[in-house]
Amino acid sequence: MREYKIVVLGSGGVGKSALTVQFVQGIFVEKYDPTIEDSYRKQVEVDGQQCMLEILDTAGTEQFTAMRDLYMKNGQGFVLVYSITAQSTFNDLQDLREQILRVKDKDDVPMVLVGNKCDLEAERVVGKQQGANLANHFNCVFMETSAKAKISVNEVFYDLVRQINKKSPKEEKKKSNIRKPICQLL
Amino acid sequence: MSIYVVPCCDSESERGVRAQLSALTSRMTRHGPCGEYAASQPTWRLWGEERVDGAIYTVYLKKVRYHRPTRSASSESDDEISHLEWETVRVRFVKAGTVERLVEALATDDGELESTYVNVFLATYRSFAECSQVLDLLLRRYEELAMDDVLPAATDTSHQHRKTLVACLHVWLDTYPEDFRQPPHHPALQQLLAFTQLHLPGSELHSKALQKLALFSAERNGVAGGAAGGAGGGAGTCLAAGMRVPAHHTSAYRLPHVPHRHFAEQLTRMDMELFKRLVPHQCLGAVWSRRDKDRSHDAATVLATVNQFNAVSFRVISTVLVEPNLRPVDRSDILASWLDIARELRVLKNFSSLKAIISGLQSNPVYRLRKTWAMLSKEKAELFEELARIFSEDNNRWAQRELLMREGTAKFADTVGENDRQLQKLLHERGSPGVSNGTIPYLGTFLTDLTMIDTAIPDTVADGLINFDKRRKEFEVLAQIKLLQGAANAYHLPTDPMFDRWFDSVIVLDDREAYQLSCQIEPPTNPPKERRQKKIIDSNNHGHRKNDSIASTSSSNSSQFYCETDGAGNAWKRDSLERRISPTRLSHGSSSSSIPSLDVSLSSANSGQKPANGKIPGMSPAYPNARTGPDFYIIRVTYESDCVETEGVVLYKSIMLSNNERTPQVIRNAMLKLNLDGDPDGYTLAQVLPDKEMVLPANANVYYAVNTAYNLNFILRPRRNQQDEAIVNGKAKNKRT
Repeated sequence: MREYKIVVLGSGGVGKSALTVQFVQGIFVEKYDPTIEDSYRKQVEVDGQQCMLEILDTAGTEQFTAMRDLYMKNGQGFVLVYSITAQSTFNDLQDLREQILRVKDKDDVPMVLVGNKCDLEAERVVGKQQGANLANHFNCVFMETSAKAKISVNEVFYDLVRQINKKSPKEEKKKSNIRKPICQLL
Repeated sequence: MSIYVVPCCDSESERGVRAQLSALTSRMTRHGPCGEYAASQPTWRLWGEERVDGAIYTVYLKKVRYHRPTRSASSESDDEISHLEWETVRVRFVKAGTVERLVEALATDDGELESTYVNVFLATYRSFAECSQVLDLLLRRYEELAMDDVLPAATDTSHQHRKTLVACLHVWLDTYPEDFRQPPHHPALQQLLAFTQLHLPGSELHSKALQKLALFSAERNGVAGGAAGGAGGGAGTCLAAGMRVPAHHTSAYRLPHVPHRHFAEQLTRMDMELFKRLVPHQCLGAVWSRRDKDRSHDAATVLATVNQFNAVSFRVISTVLVEPNLRPVDRSDILASWLDIARELRVLKNFSSLKAIISGLQSNPVYRLRKTWAMLSKEKAELFEELARIFSEDNNRWAQRELLMREGTAKFADTVGENDRQLQKLLHERGSPGVSNGTIPYLGTFLTDLTMIDTAIPDTVADGLINFDKRRKEFEVLAQIKLLQGAANAYHLPTDPMFDRWFDSVIVLDDREAYQLSCQIEPPTNPPKERRQKKIIDSNNHGHRKNDSIASTSSSNSSQFYCETDGAGNAWKRDSLERRISPTRLSHGSSSSSIPSLDVSLSSANSGQKPANGKIPGMSPAYPNARTGPDFYIIRVTYESDCVETEGVVLYKSIMLSNNERTPQVIRNAMLKLNLDGDPDGYTLAQVLPDKEMVLPANANVYYAVNTAYNLNFILRPRRNQQDEAIVNGKAKNKRT
């Protein structure tokens, strides 16, 4: 089964962790353990193919700025999350994206732009069009989600899987696997 | 009644944190996520839930032995022992409740202190109640019980209950004194005092409260000091006299030729101080991950730790990059040096700085330098791999979690994987270490776990009752942190002020600056559009290329006015300030880094020549090969204030000046560094020249305007009207020549 490493990025408080928990657990659970090996792993079927998704959620470590590069290096697909209720979280994404492109040394990286908390329509400050424009500028997919109301959460991850499949079909996967222990640049 | 804890982990024999944790939580009721375990144990049976007004309990039936059994056959399981030797008791755990009920539950039905519950409650109550509210409820409950006393019935339990409440207050005061600090009037403490005065005069609790009051008042009146939670405050512009040391001492350390063990110890000392000061409940998801600007002080001790982590990474990055003209082999010596320091950190079990160094080495600007990495010896490359493996994100950071469990509270580092050849060799060489070490964890894992718990588990259950099971889950993590904090006391590391000065003097590059430098060292193979533009600007500049600022700063600790400031002890404070600004700053292209200047690694552009104190300014060495120099300068800016003048010390901040920055932008950057608020138009910037000052025109391109024949020292001052300015300039000139 092919494995996909997905990184969820965004400022603190945008609901990254809620998206991840919603996707991996399906429901907000009472009995939950974030410390076990497969806390963030989920097997899904996308377009008739079984995939194993490993989600790397940076929640709680946003301020360890020095570590972002590593997250980015390891990720194959990226979820860039902002909250529709906080303009600053939206503004922060431009830099994050640039950093991803620098680290990946590519102009095109599988990515989904996500406006979270769309259940809080009354508190909205970032318009849907604004989000769409930014996605256009990023040349990536845009979705508004609500982890709380379970709107479009799975779609975000499925879409990333499709993007990754498109950009690096199976054959290349092996190659990238060999290249993975890149640390050894020798 | 003692409550046995069913270990929630696997059955392997374990030591370290896991073992100690179960000791610590030995009365802990881990029936939340572990309920299934409890229920499946032969002596425990989940009986069900019990609802009362304002609370829900989980009830277990537990077999308790009332005779000491004679073990006739070891094969006999507990269940098979004769029923005559057992009785079944009901054990209730609060699952959810109102604040009132939760406070009541601090004492069991019999009125006994349930110590695990008390610990969980006190560690986590801030996420559902205010300090004053809890104190109120506690005291009121005591008073109610005291009223009951009039009735002849049930006085025994009532008495016991009250004793328990007093015990809770003791634990609270001892464990979380900061809850009672509340300057300037300490209302909670005053309330407690009024209470003890009335009900418990002359008691131990009363005198304890009085002591605390005296302590807090002394704190307020006297030296404010770096008490727990005090990451705030400006980095002092003036220094205590003892902190002032001639600047040239900073050049004592220069990578790669530094004592690795010593460096590792000093980094550990810095981390240890912060880690011991860390207030665990500030890590809670509800506090840390939901903090905003108004509440940033709520997590000040966490922030200080994070800032130190970043500071270490940034030092790795900048020391590797800051000299653009090094040969790859020389640069790889710096990598190797950091790896040696990292190796020592592994022995010291300082996983925070260890990860910080590995992160720095894996940061894109450093990691992409293929030619440099290629020069690394095979052993060092292997070592890097082994150390990086510890922090692999795979399987939810399993490697790291496992290691922390095993070594967390063990005395020495001795867990090495089969494939870790270099680490095995190291432990073999060292033999059995003479001194035992503490452990400093990488805090990020705990922060993520707590954030995820906070997200995944609801705060309240169906009827709006506070979900206390969530708090128990959180406490499992907090208890680990506390345990490790205790273990950190095992470190005995001396302070080296020289190291602190070195640490402070290293320039910090922001993300883009670092990348820019990195690309000058090794141009990108496949430059995307934005980067290509940069290149064009670059090549246009050749005609105007000036001598390299890095070189010129190296000679610039000239006159007696310019001397290293910011004392050693302030490192973490200042850094926290710095970093608080910087994440938001990552966006402006060329703003930059600070830290009192005079970096050792910068000065090494002079190939080791120590800049002499009192050297005549104006003798900036020209960079040997101008064409390969960077397209920016590092300039040093000071703010003119009376304080500086009286102290005879100038506080410099280094900022990076790129070739497209105009005066307002440079002033803005300088203001940011110097922690000045207000409108950039309200300030003027002038270069300090030997016999005068050159005030920069309002919209000059500073890069081209500066006089690079001299040191790049600048002075920022509030704008005055034209005449005044002339006078000020004259005054300043006199002082500096």
